[in-house]
Amino acid sequence: MEQIMRLNEVMAGETHLVQDVKTDDEEMRAFLFRLGCYEGEPITLISKRKSGCVVAIKDGRYSLDNYLAEAIVV
Amino acid sequence: MRIAFAGNPNSGKTTMFNALTGRNEKVGNWAGVTVGRNEGPFKAEYGAENIAVDLPGAYSMSPFTPEEGITSSYIRDEHPDAIINIVDATNLSRSLFFTTQLLELGIPVVVALNKSDINDKENTKIDAEKLSTKLGCPVIKTVSTDDKNNGLADVAAAAISLMGKGQKAPYLQADIDLHDKAAVDAEDRKRYAFVNQIVKDVESREVKSSDTTVQDKIDNIVTNKFAGIIIFAAVMWAVFSISQTYVGPWVADYLVGWIESFKEWVAGQLENSPAILSALLADGIVGGVGAVVGFLPLVMVMYFLIALLEDCGYMARASVVLDPLFKRVGLSGKSVIPVVIGTGCGIPAIMACRTIRDERERRATAMLATFIPCGAKMPVIALFAGAFFAGAGWVTTLMYAMGLALILLGALLVSAVTGHKFRRSFFIIDLPKYKWPSLKRAFWSMMERAKAYIIKASTIILVCNCVVQIMQTFNWHFQVVEEGMESTSILATIASPFAVLMIPLGFGAWQLAAAAITGFIAKENVVGTIAVVFAITNFIDVDELAMTGGANAVAATMGLTSVTALAYLAFNLFTPPCFAAIGAMRSEMNHRGWLWSAIGLQFSTGYTVAFLIYQFGTLFTEGHFGTAFIPGLIAEAAMVLAIVLISKKIRADFDKKYELHNNVQAA
Repeated sequence: MEQIMRLNEVMAGETHLVQDVKTDDEEMRAFLFRLGCYEGEPITLISKRKSGCVVAIKDGRYSLDNYLAEAIVV
Repeated sequence: MRIAFAGNPNSGKTTMFNALTGRNEKVGNWAGVTVGRNEGPFKAEYGAENIAVDLPGAYSMSPFTPEEGITSSYIRDEHPDAIINIVDATNLSRSLFFTTQLLELGIPVVVALNKSDINDKENTKIDAEKLSTKLGCPVIKTVSTDDKNNGLADVAAAAISLMGKGQKAPYLQADIDLHDKAAVDAEDRKRYAFVNQIVKDVESREVKSSDTTVQDKIDNIVTNKFAGIIIFAAVMWAVFSISQTYVGPWVADYLVGWIESFKEWVAGQLENSPAILSALLADGIVGGVGAVVGFLPLVMVMYFLIALLEDCGYMARASVVLDPLFKRVGLSGKSVIPVVIGTGCGIPAIMACRTIRDERERRATAMLATFIPCGAKMPVIALFAGAFFAGAGWVTTLMYAMGLALILLGALLVSAVTGHKFRRSFFIIDLPKYKWPSLKRAFWSMMERAKAYIIKASTIILVCNCVVQIMQTFNWHFQVVEEGMESTSILATIASPFAVLMIPLGFGAWQLAAAAITGFIAKENVVGTIAVVFAITNFIDVDELAMTGGANAVAATMGLTSVTALAYLAFNLFTPPCFAAIGAMRSEMNHRGWLWSAIGLQFSTGYTVAFLIYQFGTLFTEGHFGTAFIPGLIAEAAMVLAIVLISKKIRADFDKKYELHNNVQAA
């Protein structure tokens, strides 16, 4: 089975390319898309906390909760 | 001509709007400050015949939240003559997605590369000329927050010069079936690819956005699970105690002194006039309005501090830190911003709920946000803290903490009643760069609110005080009420039935009932009415009153103990807010059931909290329950029953819907 990695398993400071946004929630996918988070785009994990993480997408900083972070496959 | 201001959230649209029109609309350093449309003519030097239309921020023309819908439908349906597209130059790659959509509409566009000062600092270079060629529209570097060399005059002139011209689109969406999701997705991707190529061509960066900065280190601390909560509590406590315990009262002391002397002067002038006239003018108007205006410095200091807080970028972090807590009760971090705004005024707080995507969360937040005491409730708190608790800071802190606790408990109740199954909603928030808050902007924001406060005091509150004064002076035969016969006055007979309901809460006096009722028109009225019905003006400097009047005159006159005073205060704070806020709730909820449930919940909450404080407070201080414990308990039982019935009905309706759905699927 192919190993997939979710954003919440990434180490702080690492940049990865987004592979997929795995969710049933179409809204979530579309929302992330508008910020520039979609397949092939880089995403950097700036820091992690228990309830979520801070990421850099394009030239912006966002705080995501774990629900979102788990949906982003890198 | 009409010029629309559009762009991503927090790109500085309203700051530019304010600079070009001279208006003073709310600005703040987080995404989603502007939730409605603002219109105003340009300042004369930019051409006063042009109307600027400030719109809420949006990431694209397809809206997600109600406030984004306002933007896309205005641009699409109201045909502005030109669009000023404010682009956050520090995040060009995200912003241009929306820009290319705007360029497709045929309306002339001017791109303002805002926040160019930050780019200069970070040595990020954008070739504006090249970008202009690629987009096919003027591109001008701007710094809206700056007074000079800000590029704003150029932007205005460019927009005006495009009047009547069309707009060629650099990128046109292919003719696709807009219902075909895959096709739309593919098109959007192509658009992003187009944007990425442009950015690559025109932008060069020295600082990579993915590098960890000092700002990220600050974020680590302020969004830490434990430290973050402590910092949030400390920040809010500082705002309230500086405005209400330290700086505010110090300034208010002087103001109240002047109002007192003015009142005496008016009374002196009226010495030979009929007693009624002097009562109406000196006690009703000057006394009542003066009592409210006396608290202005406290309110002003608080508005100033909140403006600083909103400007520095902390609000988004507060949302992050409280998100886990709010999620647990069925709200989200997005509900934090309405709550913080609610410390200023409930109406913008309720409107700020528009940025919440989930409908249930949005309505629940609008329902609960006004539990946090607003600026108008602040004089009420200050009055009671001063008169009954020697100005003790803990009363203020307790009231705000209680407001927050009631929001959380209320949210739990709403979740339970609606049978909400904790559908997981996702939370993402833009973390804007911190900046030093502008003292000048905070000052003007404070002056704007102060102006509104004075206008309110000299209109609504003045009228209410006059009416109250007249109603308590006359009886139903329009004869002047004699001394000792006060309970026959119009006011007393109207308020008495309500006062009966409040006996289980410890304050069954008609004067207090009257004050609570006028409070629904505007909460400051509680102070004004108390001033009128008990004929007291100086609430700030109660020490002086104590010296002249022997005991604590205010407390003695009102006939309340510290327990009943606290109960009465809580009742006024946690019952429904003013009518204006209820109106805002009605339009944001857009659902009659939710609105009435909100009003019902707020009444029940105010009543219950006051009941508990009075009865248990009396139990602790005097060793027995207060008067009318059993009737109060019956009232409480009725409220619980109502909530259970509503919940049953909602669940039944929900099941019915579900059933119907099943049938459709089966067929």
